[in-house]
Amino acid sequence: MVKTEGSFAVEDMKNVQINIGAVVKEADEWDQPMGPFPKPGVATLRDWDFKLANRYKIFYAPADDTCTLCTYGPCDLTGNKQGACGLDMAGYCGKIVLIACLMGTCAHSAHGRHLHHWCIEKFGNLKFDMGDEILVDSPVYQTIMGSKPTDLKGFGEGLNYLEEEVVQLMAATHTGQEGYYGDFESKALHAGMLDLLGMEICDMLQIVAYDMPRGAADAPLVEIGMGTMDQNKGVLIAYGHNLAAGAEAMLYAENNNLWEKVDIGGVCCTAHDLNRIGLGAGSNLPKGIGTKPKVAGAMGWWRKMVRSGVMDCIMVDEQCVYCNVLADSQKRKIPVIATTDKIMLGLPDRTNDPVDAIVDDLVNFKMPGVAILDPTKAGEVGIRVAIAVKPKRAEAKAQNLLTEAQFKADLDKCTQCNKCAFVCPPHIKISDLISEAKKGNLEAFSGMYEICVGCQRCEEACPQGINILDLYEYANRQYVKDQKFLMRSGRGPARDTEIRKVGAPIVLGTIPGVIALVGCSNYPKGTKEAYIMAKEFADRGYIVVTSGCMAMDMSLYKNEEGKTIWEQYEGGFDGRNVCNTGSCVSNANIADAAIKVATIFAHRNHRANFDDIADYILSKVGACGVAWGPYSQKAAAIATGCNRLGIPVVVQPHSVMYRRSFMGRHDKPEDWMVIDARDGSMQQIEPAPEAMLYIAESMEEALTEMAKLCLRPSDNSMGRMIKLTHWCEISEKYLGKLPPDWHEYVRAVPDLPLKWRDQMMKELEEKHGWKVDWKAKKFISGPLRPADVSFDPTNIPRKIRAKK
Amino acid sequence: MAAEPKKGIDTTKNPVPFEMAQIPGPEMAKTYMPKVMGAIIKKAKRPLLVVGAELLDDPAMFDKVVEIGKMGIPIAATAHSMKGFVERGYTDNVYMIGLHPLTSYLRFEDWKGLDGKGQYDLVIFTGIFYKFANAMFSALKNFNRNIKRVSIDRYYHVNADMTFGNLAFEPDNYLAAIDELIAAMKK
Repeated sequence: MVKTEGSFAVEDMKNVQINIGAVVKEADEWDQPMGPFPKPGVATLRDWDFKLANRYKIFYAPADDTCTLCTYGPCDLTGNKQGACGLDMAGYCGKIVLIACLMGTCAHSAHGRHLHHWCIEKFGNLKFDMGDEILVDSPVYQTIMGSKPTDLKGFGEGLNYLEEEVVQLMAATHTGQEGYYGDFESKALHAGMLDLLGMEICDMLQIVAYDMPRGAADAPLVEIGMGTMDQNKGVLIAYGHNLAAGAEAMLYAENNNLWEKVDIGGVCCTAHDLNRIGLGAGSNLPKGIGTKPKVAGAMGWWRKMVRSGVMDCIMVDEQCVYCNVLADSQKRKIPVIATTDKIMLGLPDRTNDPVDAIVDDLVNFKMPGVAILDPTKAGEVGIRVAIAVKPKRAEAKAQNLLTEAQFKADLDKCTQCNKCAFVCPPHIKISDLISEAKKGNLEAFSGMYEICVGCQRCEEACPQGINILDLYEYANRQYVKDQKFLMRSGRGPARDTEIRKVGAPIVLGTIPGVIALVGCSNYPKGTKEAYIMAKEFADRGYIVVTSGCMAMDMSLYKNEEGKTIWEQYEGGFDGRNVCNTGSCVSNANIADAAIKVATIFAHRNHRANFDDIADYILSKVGACGVAWGPYSQKAAAIATGCNRLGIPVVVQPHSVMYRRSFMGRHDKPEDWMVIDARDGSMQQIEPAPEAMLYIAESMEEALTEMAKLCLRPSDNSMGRMIKLTHWCEISEKYLGKLPPDWHEYVRAVPDLPLKWRDQMMKELEEKHGWKVDWKAKKFISGPLRPADVSFDPTNIPRKIRAKK
Repeated sequence: MAAEPKKGIDTTKNPVPFEMAQIPGPEMAKTYMPKVMGAIIKKAKRPLLVVGAELLDDPAMFDKVVEIGKMGIPIAATAHSMKGFVERGYTDNVYMIGLHPLTSYLRFEDWKGLDGKGQYDLVIFTGIFYKFANAMFSALKNFNRNIKRVSIDRYYHVNADMTFGNLAFEPDNYLAAIDELIAAMKK
């Protein structure tokens, strides 16, 4: 529905005003009836959340045993004790989880709100048009709001709704408000759902306003890596997530023919979005301009980049910016421009000053940085400063790179106290690297360069004051120069035609699953795992979707033929493809694709029908999200939003800091009862998917679990056989053995992987007591339920078509 | 002639969490001598040894884990540690399960264990990525206090009931301590 709101005064009648709350009219182009839950409030979808939590038990691993949130504290909650306010440990964990999810949701949606203002100011109220190939153009928005935005301004309604919900949720975290952990989690799931909405609004706004690709499988390849930053030019880095100022810098360079003098490198998700500009169908912006900037790298490379001296000027916008960016830059005489009010770093606000004066101050180092909240002015200043400051900071750049003598002197300072190893997230034993370097072997340092997450905790811990990241830099100078690869630009959403093609194979299981590799760069064992994970599943015919820093990091490797992952596989939303959807906010496109399977392929009404769609996805869409390097609260919000939508997520071991996960119990058959929507009868299903949020200790475990979490009750026998084959093969390859619980997923002989069929039938007979008719190759008894291709599992009673 | 094995390793020293900022609250693990720990493990009715993938980087310790398994203590092989058991040809009482699902089950009183014979009364962690083991210990510390939490890893494990002090950078002493622990279990 389209709503308009307003008020008017009747002339000549003083003190009379007629307020019109909302005029609601049916939009002609949408034939779906309004679903039950338009703009769901905090408690609207609570039943659905409790259904999820009943099957997927809320699991807390507290990161601390005390609560210090109010003046009663600190309260000792060890052993689930209650604090002075009455909140127990579970409730406290739930509260922290909700706050973390809200942080993430707010970061994405405030980004969206800024773009909403900015895009309308810059481009006017453009029509919302995703092109002929994408008619279901804002699935998350439509599923939650029950309405369709038709222009950029129209997204304001979604933002208004979201902002109200966020305030209500935040209020519930105050002392003396919510007290039950299950309700905190329902609220966290609500925050996660809102996060999907905020991300989608953000991405749709920028796709339309900045002419980004609208589902282009063949989006161009762009340069990525520190080595691509041309050191003969001024190098401007745009770091963060909000493209506004970076895009203005690109336009300034374009309009003033400055690309010969300046290189723009994006860091973190701003990189993705700058590289999508002008690659779409519109005509707002110079065609193809998005291929001109480069991707300097993912956020995990930030400090390595700074230490390597590849940049001359930094523009920061918002999210994932290291808080000491200014101190690091000042030391190296790299001017910093803060471009949004989210991050101002104590810098003077020069938004209203003339450009010449600001450039002069920065180029002559009169101040280490400035805040400029006008993206256009910030972009111009960034380009002009990068070009002009380059020769002036050459000396400072050189001084900050260790000489051989300085390197050796630093090595000699090390007393092998190992305090650095005590704080290193991936447990690098830095003292060993130093011992090797002392012997003249720098390979130990270079071998660990991709595993170091650049957190700098080692330097903070070192009693000798050794700048350990500088040692890494010295040992990896050639690597930095050679870090030159290609990445496919973010393509945006899946096209409706792609969904039509893959919908049935996904639901029946003949495409074994959708693997979404998303998130940040805090990997437990280095960036290469991003590449290995993508390749393993692409080779097996899964649809591999990726975004954000993980998409960047998987670009840094080549196969034996010298091809990056993007050159090895096509970029479609299809089996055996690897598709880069774009930046952090483009993660919404992954949720979009799942919703579109329900609505385009299965003709489910998604309008204001969130639980129905989530129920469909949970039971029938074999998708698994993987955040292998998540560090931010945004990642917590995204995962939680995916969970509410019925998509399980696997995370890395550091993710225990998120405190909460969702785990099913195989030993509780009553947890796995579903309704057969055909007649309302109850049916026990196999535990699929077995968890909603699974923490894996190693990549090997994660790969196995990812394959397992693609199992769905709706798989037909062919699909189940394919999925079991991949799961068992991956388990054997990476864990050394078939999974111990494969038999729980067998309903009939054709479900069994061909390569192990006889062996498995024998094992079922001998070990599990199943009765087998060997002649007919059938099970006489044993399986939990028969394979039934028309079985229609649901968890929602209103989906029953005809009662028995 | 082989050197005499070290004895009397003081494993109570250096109670510093391996990640220094892992200070949970008022209740922090106590450090124990290997002999005492071995005796306590021996007394457990339903012990479970839980091992992680770091063990693959330490073949000597892996062999000692197998030795403990052969003494009748069932082993949960988490992450991809199963590979090491397969390579050693020892899989008799070794169960492959992720540490996360395992801990999820351990917190429920009504869980019947990996062998279906009932919940465990003592878990022994080793070879697990520190932060992960720490968090899973925390889950049990806060939500199922009926299971005794023992770490025989080279780290001071702050959320355990019983642990060694930090031996992360003393590999010889660590292995000698494990030998003493095994000897005490055999007594």
